[in-house]
Amino acid sequence: MATKLPKKTVVFVGGGLTTGLAARQLTAKGIEVLVLERGGDHRGAPENRLPSQRDELRWGIHNKLVQDWAVETYSLRHSRKDPSLPVRRMEAFLPGQGMGGAADHWNGQTWRWSEYDPTLRTRLETRYGKKAIPADMPIQDWGVTYAETEPYHDLFEKLFGISGKAGNIKGVIQPGGNPFEAPRANEYPQPPLEMTEAGVIFAAAAEKLGYKPFPMAAGNSPNAYTNPDGMKLAPCQYCGHCERFICEANAKSSPQVLLYPMLLQRKGFELRLYSHVLGLNYDRKARRVTGVRYLDLQTAEEYEQPADVVVVAAFPMTSTRLLLQARIGEPYDPATGKGVVGKNFCYQVMSHTPAFYKDRWLNPFMASGSSQTVIDEFNGDNFDHKGLGFFGGGYIYANVTNGRPIASRLVPPGTPRWGTKWKQANADWYAHSFQYSVHGSNYPHRENYLDLDPTYRDAYGQPLLRMTYNFRDNDFKMSEYATKKAHEIALASGATLVSPPQPRRGDFDARQYQTTHVTGGTIMGADPKTSVVSPHLQHWDAQNLFVVGASAYPHNSGYNPTGPLSALALRLGDDLVSYTQRERKL
Amino acid sequence: MKSALRISAVTIACLFAGAANAAPPAAFGACGACHSLDGATGLGPTLKGVYGRKSGSLKGFAFSPAMKKAGVTWDDKSLDGFLADPQKALPGNVMPFPGVSDAKQRAEIIDFLKTAK
Repeated sequence: MATKLPKKTVVFVGGGLTTGLAARQLTAKGIEVLVLERGGDHRGAPENRLPSQRDELRWGIHNKLVQDWAVETYSLRHSRKDPSLPVRRMEAFLPGQGMGGAADHWNGQTWRWSEYDPTLRTRLETRYGKKAIPADMPIQDWGVTYAETEPYHDLFEKLFGISGKAGNIKGVIQPGGNPFEAPRANEYPQPPLEMTEAGVIFAAAAEKLGYKPFPMAAGNSPNAYTNPDGMKLAPCQYCGHCERFICEANAKSSPQVLLYPMLLQRKGFELRLYSHVLGLNYDRKARRVTGVRYLDLQTAEEYEQPADVVVVAAFPMTSTRLLLQARIGEPYDPATGKGVVGKNFCYQVMSHTPAFYKDRWLNPFMASGSSQTVIDEFNGDNFDHKGLGFFGGGYIYANVTNGRPIASRLVPPGTPRWGTKWKQANADWYAHSFQYSVHGSNYPHRENYLDLDPTYRDAYGQPLLRMTYNFRDNDFKMSEYATKKAHEIALASGATLVSPPQPRRGDFDARQYQTTHVTGGTIMGADPKTSVVSPHLQHWDAQNLFVVGASAYPHNSGYNPTGPLSALALRLGDDLVSYTQRERKL
Repeated sequence: MKSALRISAVTIACLFAGAANAAPPAAFGACGACHSLDGATGLGPTLKGVYGRKSGSLKGFAFSPAMKKAGVTWDDKSLDGFLADPQKALPGNVMPFPGVSDAKQRAEIIDFLKTAK
């Protein structure tokens, strides 16, 4: 009963960061773009204005800016032997909803991944031998090199006014920056944010142990900034309401500030809000998609939107689900290791060491989402893994992004969980504690994957995406090792009290937030047998279908995912300009 | 941590399309991310015609109760006080900005706002 609409040149599923970036490249060349976004526009809404912006209960605890779990959730099981059950309220990661997607409620932590990350298999095999990577760890090269994406990283950082200190400009190591950084053409467009008191303590301790601390690169603007498109950022107020919130000061680099207001002025660009995409229309014989079907959430009318090119640019979970539902590409089967869609689903392995300082005022409420001080010595393959029994690692940092009153409560070990003593411990330590955290990698495991749930459905009657996921031996060993390093720094910092290290242990728990960095499901690669999309993000089984976002990452590193997916999205935009002029395998 | 809230010098010169005659001073960069000069409502109200206007009177913008009740007319003196410390000048207003500490920069901004018609 769907109404068929006039055809559009390029249709994007999801109005988030990657869509905004690719659409920027396309509309600059006058190519027609339609974006279908299930949510609304946050600009000027309560989440974007004081005093309601500061409502921690509403945005920070009840997560009112993220996917509505009553409409669509995921089901979860820890292994293929277990039954799966729908997650009633997902807390582990927070997909965005509305124009700008998750990049509106992000912290702003911006990383280029290591130079070796896109060629990780080659790197590990070269360094540790052909047989070093376990058979159940399907790491693969991406089919693209860091050098190919460097100009797009550079452009992204300029568009988003990223602040930071370069560690490696054209191969020359820069003092004060990350010595492990992939070589960059230019310094960051903006200087680093102010250092927090926690950063001062962390840096001194890290230097004492011979490490090289540096400021995390940030999508939180230290100054007023105008990007190459004339879009503006205001200076950050260090209010501690970044992640899970929309910045009320236009100081957070977000698509709703820097991309969509500009795109909406461009000829040939159209954004349809409250448009929930139900499926992709696939012509199996022609190996092409013909368009998408979507529901107008304001009228409950269903539409068919024909397109020359479809770009799936949703959150990794949704992108994977759309391919599985349309049966485009072979679903991954962990029993045989064959198939690709849903493969290499990865998350993050976080861990912490709280430390307490009687005589230092940490004042955690004065922070931005990325005003953090970091070391990168124990991330990825930045250190020798010989004899360690695991691969991967994480960056270690003074983790102060906020001091919001409901969730920011560090108390020393042994403190009662309630009552007078608990209250006293809160009062004593609120302004005098912070965590030494490890932002750890999560390499793929043969048994961690996504498929369609055979039983449970969403509000529109479509099967839920099922996560078969758990932490594995590699994760536990990595976390044990890296958390010990974080603990050593805390011990060297002159703290009054350091909690025992808390490495990641136990099963994956959907009730516990770690990061919103889920990756994989529609992985990229040079071989159609082991990847869903080509190195140009073009689907192997549908030439005019492209999939962009962290779902293309074959592994999750210890870095935040925003940098590479933004670079890949800008590159995709340029690729699509060429593709719409002459359709072909890129 | 005191220095964390220091407003760094603004280094980016911005060009605004719109009605203002003069080029905005560098210090206006922090204002321009939220306030237009062409009458369009952004995150903050437009500054077109702000000089001489009564506070909280512009139609089409949802001002805070503090701003609506203030009853200030924006002239050299009131603008200088507001820009120096917005919360001190109008307690409870919701502009997320701590102020411009440099008197010379404030004077430049105010002179520029006079031309924003």
